[in-house]
Amino acid sequence: MSCRVLIVDDALFMRNMLKDIFTRADDFEVVGEAQNGDEAVERYRELRPDLVTMDIVMPLKSGIEALVEIIAEDASARVVMCSALGQESLIVEAVGAGAREFIVKPFQEAKVLEVARRVTVR
Amino acid sequence: MDMSKYREMFLSETREHLAVMARRLVDLEKAPDDREVIDTLFREAHSVKGMAASMGYQRMAGLAHALEDLLDGFRGDGEVPATAIDRLLAGCDLLEGLLEDIAAERPERSIDAFLQNTAGEEEIPLAEAIPAGEEIEVLELEPVAETIPLELTVEIADHAPAPAARALLVLRELERFGELLEQWPSQEELFKGGVVRHLRVRLESSCERSEIEAALLAMSDLAGVRWGEDSEDDGLPRRRREDSERTVRIRTELLDRFINLTGELMTTRSMLQSAQTRRSWQDLGEGLDQLSLLVNNLHHKVLEVRMMPVSSITGRLPRLVRDLARKTGKQVDLQIHGDEVELDRAILEELADPLVHLLRNAVDHGIEGEGVIAVRAWRERDLVLVEVADNGRGIDPRQIRDKALAKGLINAAQARAMGDRDLLGLICLPGFSTADQVTETSGRGVGMDVVKAAVENLGGVLDILSAPGEGTRMLLKLPVSVAIIQILLVACAGQTVALPITRVHRTLEVSREQLQSSGRQLVLPLDDEIIPLLSLRKLLKLPNRPFAGSVPLVITELRGRRVGLVVDRLVGQSQVFVKSLSFPLDHLPGVTGASVLGDGQVVFLIDPQGLLDAVNPVAGRAA
Repeated sequence: MSCRVLIVDDALFMRNMLKDIFTRADDFEVVGEAQNGDEAVERYRELRPDLVTMDIVMPLKSGIEALVEIIAEDASARVVMCSALGQESLIVEAVGAGAREFIVKPFQEAKVLEVARRVTVR
Repeated sequence: MDMSKYREMFLSETREHLAVMARRLVDLEKAPDDREVIDTLFREAHSVKGMAASMGYQRMAGLAHALEDLLDGFRGDGEVPATAIDRLLAGCDLLEGLLEDIAAERPERSIDAFLQNTAGEEEIPLAEAIPAGEEIEVLELEPVAETIPLELTVEIADHAPAPAARALLVLRELERFGELLEQWPSQEELFKGGVVRHLRVRLESSCERSEIEAALLAMSDLAGVRWGEDSEDDGLPRRRREDSERTVRIRTELLDRFINLTGELMTTRSMLQSAQTRRSWQDLGEGLDQLSLLVNNLHHKVLEVRMMPVSSITGRLPRLVRDLARKTGKQVDLQIHGDEVELDRAILEELADPLVHLLRNAVDHGIEGEGVIAVRAWRERDLVLVEVADNGRGIDPRQIRDKALAKGLINAAQARAMGDRDLLGLICLPGFSTADQVTETSGRGVGMDVVKAAVENLGGVLDILSAPGEGTRMLLKLPVSVAIIQILLVACAGQTVALPITRVHRTLEVSREQLQSSGRQLVLPLDDEIIPLLSLRKLLKLPNRPFAGSVPLVITELRGRRVGLVVDRLVGQSQVFVKSLSFPLDHLPGVTGASVLGDGQVVFLIDPQGLLDAVNPVAGRAA
């Protein structure tokens, strides 16, 4: 059974790239996308995905705020943070808030899938 | 989780547990089939194991585990053989040694010899140590039990982005395998971010190392996992704990009272402020009354925080006496009464060694063959009395006198003038030993002067009561607390000085006619004794004055003898907080501190002995 993924990023380019990575792997299925934190929380609520990739810096509501709201609703939510280099303190904050893992841009396909698989195994 | 802040607590609690164990083991020796004692010992060992393991002290935990197992073997079928008690005692000693190492921040000493074989000095063959039918496994213990924490260092790859976040994820991963006991850097430090290359963790886990390692290595950005304590070369700063503050455990109930008191103090403040605004003298007066009640109350509560039961220093005594009795081949029954009485911890700390010394003396010089030593503590008004009494041969004052004469500590005239009580006091002179033979246990008779000095430094008094064939009682009269003491204020050439009330035997006023001369020395016959008089003016190097009318006297003890200090006037008693003096005032001989009286006047606390030594040094004393 494939793993249902919600991709959250304000950049269409990044969403498409991640979508391609997950689509090429046969054990993942992208079920939804969101382009800001508010949307992410809404989409999580309706889709209950197995995995969320969450960009940290987004307009309206940041990835960390969205993460906090999602964890508050579903403590078992599996959220992997996506960030650019140089955002160490935000990553630390996100991990503290309950993010399961983090990946750093630029993404490498293998790395993204490895992390995603490890997080969704349990 | 930073464990260093728990360290002091660990040390003091473990010390308490070990003291109970030592005491119970001696009980066990008397009644080797006492189930309750066996159970207590088992529980104590278990507690020590748990605490040591939580702190990551593996050897102490391992040893406690071994003792626990050994005891567990006897929980089923009653009697513990004498050889096993010896082994338990040796184990208990070793635990104390380990605790010392931990306190001194040394690596824990080896326990292998103990675990592999039997107790060090007395070689006990295994077969003998184990009663018939006992399973041999009891003594063949694995040094590492499954509850012993794992120690590992996780190396984070050099190129890893957000290494602090990675470290946090590693910790979270490790939490799946067991309980994190300690880690470096701490969680808080990791949350600050920054560069982290190593993460050192103590983990209590029943999982296999390989399982944990596999899970960690599956994570991104980790360079490797190392096991064990080989952390010397990893470049991590060693934690310094020497500066860690000493801690006190307080009952929460007491803390609650502090909060209540603080609340009441604030209410009183408002009341006083409002009384001041309204210029109401009556309300002001009532407010002050209330304030004084509250401050008194607060004072007592604060003192309570510093209080510890006498049992905290008597715990080791049964073991000590047992060992001494064994060495000397005597039969000694130690009885401890009133060890629940509480004293300031500073006093107790200073008292521990003198108490040991008194017991050694009692076993060595007091008890003949067989006897009882009783250690009693009780409270009498502002004093706590601690007594070490034996029913042994007692001390013969005549023998003391002869010896002191022979050693030249007193001259013939002094010898004639001295009463029994004074003569007994002579054993506290440095270099005086009543033992004809120097024994291994009490050494060369250097003890009693040290005991007396320790007691007097605490503002206390040592009384020696003894008669031939009637045993010996060493009575220590101690103030309950060091900082706040009762003083006697006396006036002397326009000065007011204070004497600790514990040093004052009594005060009296006599008429000029009651005084007699003995040579150039003024003396006073008192209670069938002739006591010499000293002028405080002379001691303080203040101008002399002739006696007028009645002579106020303070009876105190100097160099083991009662003397009368002549003062100008007895002013009164007061309870004061004594502050120690700083340089250069602390170099003044005979002045031990100062205090501010209610009216703002500063008075010095004087020690007549010190003053006398400065004015008139005696060869024997100055050494």
